[in-house]
Amino acid sequence: MPKLKIDLEVNNRKISKETDAHKRLLDFLRDDLNLTGAKEGCGAGECGTCSVFVDGKLVKSCLMPVAKASGAKIETIEGLADPGSLTPMQKAFHKTGASQCGYCIPGMVMAATSALRENPSADIEEIKERLGGNICRCTGYTKIFEAVEIAKAVIAGDMPEEALDEEPVGESYIGHNVRRLDAPSKVSGRLRYAADIKMHDMLQMQVLRSPHPHANIVSIDTSEAEAMDGVVCVITSDDVPAETDGFGVFVHDQPIMARGKVRHVGEAIAAVAAEDLVSARRALSKIKVEYEELPGVYDPEEAMKAGAAVVHDYAADNIVKHIPVRKGDVASGFASADIVLEDDFSTQQVEHAYLEPEAGIAYVDPDDVIVVMSPSQNITHHRHMLAHILGQPINKVRFIMSPVGGGFGGKEDMIYQGMLALMAMKTNRPVQLNFTREESIIASAKRHPSRVHYKMGLKWNGEITAIQFSMISDGGAYGMSSEGVMRKAAILSCGPYEVHNLSVDTTAVYTNNTPSGAFRTFGGMQAQFATESMMDMAAEALEMDPFEIRRINMMKVGSKTHTQHKLTAASLDACLDAAETDSRWEKGTPNVRGSYRSDLGGDDTRAPCTLGARFMDRKTSQDERVV
Amino acid sequence: MLTCDTYHLPTTLRDALELWAKAPEGSRLVSGATDILPWAREGRAGDVHIPSFVDVTRVAEFGGHSVAHGRIRLGANIVYQDFLTDGVLKQFLPCMPYCAIWFADDQIRQQATLAGNLANASPVADGTPAVAALNGGVELARLENGEIKTRSFTVSDFILGPGRTVLQPGEIISSVSLDALAGYGGSFQKVGQRRSLVISIACCAVLVKADSTGRVFDDVRLALGGVGPRPIRLNAVESRLRGEKISRRTINSAAQLAADEVASRSRQEYRRSVVIGFVKAGIEEALDNQSDVDAKFEELENA
Repeated sequence: MPKLKIDLEVNNRKISKETDAHKRLLDFLRDDLNLTGAKEGCGAGECGTCSVFVDGKLVKSCLMPVAKASGAKIETIEGLADPGSLTPMQKAFHKTGASQCGYCIPGMVMAATSALRENPSADIEEIKERLGGNICRCTGYTKIFEAVEIAKAVIAGDMPEEALDEEPVGESYIGHNVRRLDAPSKVSGRLRYAADIKMHDMLQMQVLRSPHPHANIVSIDTSEAEAMDGVVCVITSDDVPAETDGFGVFVHDQPIMARGKVRHVGEAIAAVAAEDLVSARRALSKIKVEYEELPGVYDPEEAMKAGAAVVHDYAADNIVKHIPVRKGDVASGFASADIVLEDDFSTQQVEHAYLEPEAGIAYVDPDDVIVVMSPSQNITHHRHMLAHILGQPINKVRFIMSPVGGGFGGKEDMIYQGMLALMAMKTNRPVQLNFTREESIIASAKRHPSRVHYKMGLKWNGEITAIQFSMISDGGAYGMSSEGVMRKAAILSCGPYEVHNLSVDTTAVYTNNTPSGAFRTFGGMQAQFATESMMDMAAEALEMDPFEIRRINMMKVGSKTHTQHKLTAASLDACLDAAETDSRWEKGTPNVRGSYRSDLGGDDTRAPCTLGARFMDRKTSQDERVV
Repeated sequence: MLTCDTYHLPTTLRDALELWAKAPEGSRLVSGATDILPWAREGRAGDVHIPSFVDVTRVAEFGGHSVAHGRIRLGANIVYQDFLTDGVLKQFLPCMPYCAIWFADDQIRQQATLAGNLANASPVADGTPAVAALNGGVELARLENGEIKTRSFTVSDFILGPGRTVLQPGEIISSVSLDALAGYGGSFQKVGQRRSLVISIACCAVLVKADSTGRVFDDVRLALGGVGPRPIRLNAVESRLRGEKISRRTINSAAQLAADEVASRSRQEYRRSVVIGFVKAGIEEALDNQSDVDAKFEELENA
């Protein structure tokens, strides 16, 4: 590959190195200098995980060709503080718990440092603007802004340095702010995620993905790719034992790589391992795949109709899982109702967008143990599935969980670890695969798009007499966590309310869309959106206060849940009391309020949602309310 | 992924022009390079191999700026952050700080140049309407028989359509010239999905100057972006307002004329209603931002 000579200064150290002409400053820092504090979250300048100082100005190193940095002074997260110490900003991040998964944190610390270097007295609005190029998915930013404000005050001398220390914890950790043990490794950029780890003699792997949502694979010709310089190995489903191939959280319906046909755009077809990333990517374009396109199905309700395209042969009706819950007698419940409300609710597909794209390393150790290191949220299950697929005893497969740079459920599925393990076995060398952001979005599971048809019967006094709840969810091309998500949605369907007569059905359906899987709340959100909306609409119809209608129906000690579990503890009453008091709720029907209300954002009220809240005294929390 | 055979960093205009003239077909001239790296990714251009990059950010002649005869000349390497930090630029280009603060984020603004923004000729570029409102033009340099020759275009003649300009092979933007409008009030209106790092759905650059009484429009400049293939000057609105007494009624009635200029291919109805709001809000904010006029628009209204 064409080379460039680069002379520059990094963290006060003079560097003179020859490197590939096409490299970005980010690649040079990470690959050539092993400074992996700057991360690649998107490669497109959107996320800020790669922020570094170039001649004192903060830039995104993924948008800077390394040639531009020649002659410059570079400062990275590793250079902010001396070894063994932290800057006030880093200490403040540690104190407030601003680092959660930590993947955005080196970039965030850099942006915060830059903000105060540019303007040491920046107000909160300016701080927000200056941090606008850096994205965090864990914290909701509250703790990050709090950290910047504390650091600002300490640097300016408005607060003593002790303000950066851990808050005292009394006899119990409950009710106190406790610092995270792993925060120093994250705020300093020292923590290595899977993509930050390098092994000697390691190959880079890339994956060829399907451009079609539904197609038979007629043939795959890898010969030209295999013959390319630098290419070590190409694998397809032919390299996986057909009898045991298949993984999934509940139903093992997904092959390591597409076998016979593809079921969604982005499904893995083949993988290439090469001496370097460029060779691996170039080889992908030389793999010839002949497809025979099939009619697809893209709507779950269409997929359930007779004659719809079948996604998996084992499920001719395209049903992944149907969960029914029955309690009492719905017909008599509706018959005794004074009013019956009926409505439909739908929610959309959502991407987790954790800042760390999927990444992993596999190798075979000297005892023939196949080792996979990845930010998997489910390593034990992955280990068992992979041992079965590969026909290995369980003690010959090891999974190491690397730090997870955000998961939110999206890293529960074994969508790439199988390919990595196989490639390591085939080549007998360490192999690394780092997803691009685009690949992460196209190949990983999403939140289930759902449609709920809701029917609720009520007495004039607000008592619910019956609920009929029917949810259809788009499961996409593979089962993944759909079954569990449907169970959770069914169990939580009618909310924390005691309903004596209910009929609940949740169904996940196969389509040729991107697979749906686990995502925070695991089906609860879709169900609660429908239920709580119905409760407010019922309050409106019955001219009741929304707190009142909830108290009338709430589960109490001794109540039976929708699945007949008798409760020995319940706290919704306390929760409602606190919400009502702290919001200074003005009693009344939701739809008869005037244009001005002093609750919900008025003086001395608590915000309905506080992301990443920490314990604060009452006065402070009021000041921090609007963030 | 973007790969290349060579990456040149010429330090003089002559070297840059020579390298660019000789560069193999498919080579790219880059400045800030903040657009080309996101472009060479899956879903857009995919993996791209460029024979030769000619990076002009170290060309000495492209640095700095100068003011003469009512115009300000910006070297091609002026970056967006300069509009927020350089006192001279802030004084003479009153709409540019408001445009810049909405542009990408402060890290990308350190690299991204105004000249590069114009050369990309995106219909949703933030810089083009602001330059159009400033009666901006570009100077293009090329080598002819070993001699550096230049030609100049107004921004509306320079941009032919989405991604298309009059730039010929071997030619480089050497400077951007704009009206020096010290004393004007400026503002910039933009809608997008979020605050930072967002491409405009529509945007509007505004420059306003009241007469010595502060109560009559002496000059009004308005240009829209994102609503057509090229930046649009709102000549009808401008001439309706010039010489008129400043009032909300006058502004509101003139603003209605802006909707007729919307020529984008998508979301026409939405953009029509947005630009009317832009013109109203933009003029009111720009009036408040006049450095030499103390009275605020609200006070004028209530006087």
